[in-house]
Amino acid sequence: MIRETIALIARDLKRWYRTPAQIILVFTTPLMWLLLFGQAFNIGRLAQIGDTMTDLRLVFGGATDYFSFMAIGQTAFIMLFASFFSGVSILWDRKFGFLSKLQVAPIPRAVIPLSRIASSLVKSMLQAAVVIVLAASFVLVPGLSGLRFSPSFGFADALGLALFLVLLGISLSALFVALGLIVRNEETLFGLINLLNFPLMFTSSALIPIALMPDWLRTIALYNPITFVVDGMRQLVFDTSVGAEYTVAVDLLGIGIFSALMIGLGALLARRALLRG
Amino acid sequence: MANLSDEGATKDESMSSEDVVVVVDQLEKIYSGDVRAVDSISFNVERGEIFGFLGPNGAGKTTTISILTTQTLPTGGRAEVLGYDVVKEPGKVRRGIGLVPQELTVDDELTGRENMELQGSLYGVPYSDAKERIDELLDLVRLADSAARKVKTYSGGMKKRLELAEGLIHRPEVLFLDEPTLGLDIQTRTSMWEHINKLKKETNMTIFLTTHYLEEADALCDRIAIIDHGNVIALDTPGELKKAVGGDVIEIEVTDCDEDILEIINGVPGIALIDGTCAENKARIKVPDSGAALPKILTNFITRDIQVASVMVKKPSLDQAFLEFTGRELRDEESTAGNSKKEAGARKGRFRRRR
Repeated sequence: MIRETIALIARDLKRWYRTPAQIILVFTTPLMWLLLFGQAFNIGRLAQIGDTMTDLRLVFGGATDYFSFMAIGQTAFIMLFASFFSGVSILWDRKFGFLSKLQVAPIPRAVIPLSRIASSLVKSMLQAAVVIVLAASFVLVPGLSGLRFSPSFGFADALGLALFLVLLGISLSALFVALGLIVRNEETLFGLINLLNFPLMFTSSALIPIALMPDWLRTIALYNPITFVVDGMRQLVFDTSVGAEYTVAVDLLGIGIFSALMIGLGALLARRALLRG
Repeated sequence: MANLSDEGATKDESMSSEDVVVVVDQLEKIYSGDVRAVDSISFNVERGEIFGFLGPNGAGKTTTISILTTQTLPTGGRAEVLGYDVVKEPGKVRRGIGLVPQELTVDDELTGRENMELQGSLYGVPYSDAKERIDELLDLVRLADSAARKVKTYSGGMKKRLELAEGLIHRPEVLFLDEPTLGLDIQTRTSMWEHINKLKKETNMTIFLTTHYLEEADALCDRIAIIDHGNVIALDTPGELKKAVGGDVIEIEVTDCDEDILEIINGVPGIALIDGTCAENKARIKVPDSGAALPKILTNFITRDIQVASVMVKKPSLDQAFLEFTGRELRDEESTAGNSKKEAGARKGRFRRRR
């Protein structure tokens, strides 16, 4: 089981890193968002136009500026987008018969979704790392604000950060891979992905501070799994609970429960999709 | 799965012998909407033979392969491959079979060798054997020189050959080839036939292939099942199937003749007509042996001073056999389930006059 899983992960990654366009996208997509959205959309400056000196950390989840706030949200954003590609790729594998080749092979059925989730996780974690490195390096560019870590940010915090992202990546790719297996038509799959992606992203505190949301949206955002992830990560990165919605432990529990649900749902759907008709 | 009640029964003695590797017994696949893709077919495939499934598109060939290779569940009947029930023991069936599917499933972004290595991992080929076996197979399909290139640079024929090599990586006992030469040019097709024949000669592997090319079935198969609308309508060696068509067809055209030439031919001593038609100056007859009949007929015509304009002899081909058994030409078939099944049955075995 391990050998075929590794072989399939390797196949998937080779397809990815050997396509120059994919590698260019890994860098340009986060660059666009960080530059055009993160730098231009400077809510912090707006907030300071008035006389009242609000503590911006209350608005920006512990960060003192919008860019630092959104850069962390951007890592979750990139996990979401990297994960949905895994669902699309498995639909292509069905179209081109690769999936039926796997179904004829003497391998446990579970290897098919598991290997795809694993390869998706490798890709999305790499992209999240690219986001963080790019955002931090903005400090070096005159005229740009960069992602400012708390001076006390250490190895344990980095591991915590990775854990949040891994849990998010697993739950999202489990969902999307299962959808990619069960939906047989690209248009439907893309429609479904859009239907999930945009609400998931924009009802969370990834890019927009919860404090600025209307009440109804705030209620939704507080239960959005992405909110748990970014809320926890910000507390680790900025080393403060000021402006946080939950404690780190509750954040971890929240995304943990979401992961368990998505893995369960994914397994159920994938099992159905891979059954012989 | 309504008719699977007897699948647990012990195997029929005659079927469980070592020499039968595929047993299909009243196999049935009905899709929703009463589409009978496979309608109660039965046949056996013996060890070491190339067994051909010949029929038009939509006849049920791919569905049958799909059931036998554990991708689709039958709705009735029973099928065993290598002694294992395809419904109950798919894992054991999968280990013993190889499949070269109709569509190309090799990965374009990987090299030929990487594709083979992936296949080796999926089929649990021991690491120690893998390299040697991959070299050997790449050699067999003449891709050794291109093995380091990405498959997207390959031609269609090369991809198909790689697909064949992949199907052989775990040395399967039975190899399923679904339309192995579909979409290939004549030259590539012929070379594919060579590969398949070589494989059979060198390994004594059992090969189950589907095709809608009669030449292909004729060139490769030891036995052929003609399938149409989900039914096996004939099963025999190519030779016997051709014989069933019953003799050679001779077409003779004369320049000018007042008499009925069919009458004259019928009167020639030693000529036994199986059938014959005549229109204007042209006669179309069927005889057991054209080589013996034609000189007698021509000599007779010369003595009667009848000028012969043209003579054409047609040896029986599987083309004609197909026409004979199904009542339709194979080539321009656009099969829609159930339309002329009854008619085809009624025509079976009768000589059908063609204009």
